[in-house]
Amino acid sequence: MENAAFLPVAFEVILLLGALAVLMVAVIADRNRKVWGPIAGIAFLLGAGAGVLQWREVLAGGGGLFYSAQGATIFESPMVVLDGFSAFAAIVLGLVGFTAMLGSWDLVTRIGKRSAEFVALSLLAVAGLHMMASSPNLVVIFIGLETASISFYILAGFVRDDTNAEESSLKYFLLGSLASALFLYGVALTFAATGSLTIYGANSIRDFFSNTVVTQPGILLVGMALMLIGLFFKISAAPFHQWAPDVYQGAPSAAVGLMAAGVKVAGFAALGRIFVGGLISQIDSWGPIIAVIAAISMIVGTTMALVQTDLKRMMAYSGVAHSGYLLTAIIAGADGLPAMWFYVGTYAFMIVGTFAVISAVSGPGSTAAPMEDFRGLARRSPEMGWLLAILMFGMSGMPFFAGFVGKILAFVAAGSVGYIWLVVLATLTTVIGLAFYLRVVANVFAGDEDAEDDIEPSLPTRFAVVIGATVTVAFGIVPWILIDVVRDALPL
Amino acid sequence: MPVLTILLALPLVGAIIVAFLPKRRPELVYPIAVAVSIMPLVVAGYLLWNFAAGDASFQFAENVSLNETIGFGWRMAVDGISLFMVVLTALLFPISIAASRSVTEKVKTYMVLMLILETGVLGVFLALDLLLFFAFFEIVLIPMYMLIAMWGSENRSYASMKFVLFTAAGSAFLLASIIALGVITGDRVGTLASFDFRDMLGIEFTGATQTWLFLGFAVAFAIKVPLFPFHTWLPDAHTEAPTAGSVILAGVLLKMGTYGLLRFNLTLFPKATVDFGFWIAVIGVIGIVYGAAVAIVQPDIKRLVAYSSVSHMGFIVLGIFALTSQGLQGSVFQMISHGLTTGALFLLIGMVYDRTHTRKIADYGGLAKSMPVYAGIFLFSAFAAAGLPGLSGFIGEFTILVGSYLSFPVLAIVGASGVILAAIYLLWAYERVFTGPTTNPKIEALRDLNFRELAIMVPLVALILAIGVYPKPVLERIEPSVEAILVRIEAVTEYQVPEFGRQDDAVVPQYGEIDPGVGQRSEG
Repeated sequence: MENAAFLPVAFEVILLLGALAVLMVAVIADRNRKVWGPIAGIAFLLGAGAGVLQWREVLAGGGGLFYSAQGATIFESPMVVLDGFSAFAAIVLGLVGFTAMLGSWDLVTRIGKRSAEFVALSLLAVAGLHMMASSPNLVVIFIGLETASISFYILAGFVRDDTNAEESSLKYFLLGSLASALFLYGVALTFAATGSLTIYGANSIRDFFSNTVVTQPGILLVGMALMLIGLFFKISAAPFHQWAPDVYQGAPSAAVGLMAAGVKVAGFAALGRIFVGGLISQIDSWGPIIAVIAAISMIVGTTMALVQTDLKRMMAYSGVAHSGYLLTAIIAGADGLPAMWFYVGTYAFMIVGTFAVISAVSGPGSTAAPMEDFRGLARRSPEMGWLLAILMFGMSGMPFFAGFVGKILAFVAAGSVGYIWLVVLATLTTVIGLAFYLRVVANVFAGDEDAEDDIEPSLPTRFAVVIGATVTVAFGIVPWILIDVVRDALPL
Repeated sequence: MPVLTILLALPLVGAIIVAFLPKRRPELVYPIAVAVSIMPLVVAGYLLWNFAAGDASFQFAENVSLNETIGFGWRMAVDGISLFMVVLTALLFPISIAASRSVTEKVKTYMVLMLILETGVLGVFLALDLLLFFAFFEIVLIPMYMLIAMWGSENRSYASMKFVLFTAAGSAFLLASIIALGVITGDRVGTLASFDFRDMLGIEFTGATQTWLFLGFAVAFAIKVPLFPFHTWLPDAHTEAPTAGSVILAGVLLKMGTYGLLRFNLTLFPKATVDFGFWIAVIGVIGIVYGAAVAIVQPDIKRLVAYSSVSHMGFIVLGIFALTSQGLQGSVFQMISHGLTTGALFLLIGMVYDRTHTRKIADYGGLAKSMPVYAGIFLFSAFAAAGLPGLSGFIGEFTILVGSYLSFPVLAIVGASGVILAAIYLLWAYERVFTGPTTNPKIEALRDLNFRELAIMVPLVALILAIGVYPKPVLERIEPSVEAILVRIEAVTEYQVPEFGRQDDAVVPQYGEIDPGVGQRSEG
């Protein structure tokens, strides 16, 4: 039982210890910078390992709710939940964090002394992200959201000498704080409507809905809407996406990978936890909202991505479109969650891999990645060129790449609950999306005349890209193992 | 023995072998690529040899369920329709790979892409799981796009992008329809979804659903065929593609469209097929006349052949939607014939292009003097494409016209003009290129076909002649499968095949049956 009590929070604890260790080493041995990366890497891997242990515990019938101080309060409220959902989130976030750390290694070695902060903030951010997936308490979810967001605000502006980065950081901070505030307001109103802050356990939101017929749902609807808006902002679903292109472009390339991938994973985990886990009885109210937002995201993301001339901005808009596809999985309720996990789990690696390529080509601290930078990449570095092409095919949803499987699962889920119009729209925008992904590929293989220097990416960066591409190809050709796994990654 | 899986895996294994050839020995790439591309042909020959003629059921079936919840499986089989598509694919690939000697840049990548492309195309014709079918249907785009974009001529980036976006736009409707179909089927069999083709055959879709699904499938395949007015990607892609790319595009990729119509639209949505059949046949006839008329005035020889494809594919669509045994048989036969003749023409154009680097008809003249053998083979292929009796094109087009006359006499008569127009554009082009005085001094110095080029052309020429003179072995394998489709349509709709349109005494098993005798393998 002692072990089980540690296990539910093992992921957060390991990452926080990692962050502490990095900061301690930075204080004690200032010159020994190379050691921070490995510490962070090991922390992420241990975190993922803890996730695997959690997973096995859940499959063995363990898991469940964990209370902060049992019996101490009148309303016993569970603070942590250990289930397939949170365990899978731990595995994904740990591995994504590890890969992203590899991808930002070039930046870490370049920014000198401050790199300790960078590494520690990355660790803190991922710990916060996992809290969003592993807590049944809306306030703790909010705290996780803020922990991650504040870390990312700093990371976005990490290259201080660049005005773009400052703008990016400030913009992210202002809009992000607004979204967090809206989310918190939504939590408060949900509390007002249901009398509970927790999803599971005694006197929980689920309890409330199973015992009560809501006749005047006004406050509840506003509460749900505000929570949705807050999370839509974080996952950059249109029309709450305006920050994303500027922030992606303004932030140092090597830092965007974790930011983009991690927030997507955790944002959707929180959506799944709160809405499918807690408010599933209200799906008739929030389902249509999500469907409409999904539709808008696909259309806006795809059309805006078409006209971008900067790869980072394009990735931001394509991320908006992907949020739309992912939302189609959520509207199917519990049937859609495996699809969501498969999709977001593989997509996160594609993002990290792509930003590792961008960082290798345009420079790790650069705030712009114009498309011309990638012209003739296949010639300057065949390895990077082909891997970037694979990642692009993966994101475009070509068969035999992981993106295709994720899309199929999501669309089948949406189709099975009758959202055929959304499926048609999704397949159409997927095709239009092909245009801008292929433009990148065309760029990569074009430009035979340019005699630009060869690109020699560092070993960690190459590892990050290879991991991203391997995930894309492996789970595209043999997705069965992962499909079987995500089937159990359900909330309690 | 999972013959079909082996067939599918061979090009892929070949691609891996080629990819790992040592960098220091670039001269090995071409011969080894040719050698590995012949292996699938051997397996295809085995299929052809062991295929039970006069049997409409699916043979060599493989059925391994991979995921129960979404009802996806490794389901493959061949019947009389797909058998010949598979053989045609396995034949055209080694030929076009052998014809790619003039590719000098990034040869290894080129060969790897060709072999991956072969796997994709074979998969399309073998798959009996709609999701698997779609995966192959779509994956074909990537290697084809790369081949055009990296080894094409001047306007390649525009043409390759246009090709991908046009066909992918169709695929969007196809995917949406397949998902809807899968979800509906899943409802009936009690899973989240099911993509098993044979599960789907058991379901009669209601009116509106059937119409929408039919249209979703039809649009995707119409773009691929391509039917007028979706054909505009074709001349660009064919013209800009490298020779092998054009051969494969015209030879087998277009057939993916007509094959899809035949395999899925006719069998899954029989009511909608009967409702829309006439109008699609009309579009097919428009394609016949339009494609031929435009082909006449093309100044670019490759573009001319490309437009002739639009015309010939129109015949195939007319034959399919005539819904008679002759029409369907003729369509499948014409798919084979068009693959051989147009493939031959594109190969021939490629051979002379390698020498002169021009495709403009006006740059030639009197070519027959310097290249007599070449001229002879070209004339032969042109005659075959124009439907000269005794060659394969005649059998296909004649059978189609007979079959469609039974259903739509007026359309058949209008469509027949395509045969005459074909003679005009092909022979006029021959006249301008090969006869008359030599105006271009370069032409006089050209050397005739060498041994390698002759060796490439001989199989095509021989087959065009063989199935043109003696089509029975082909037709008797096609016939039961298409009759089974007609029986199915008659059983579920009020449609009656016109008199003489079907052999009444033929004993036909239910469509979708699997022959337990031939190469059966089933698990899970």
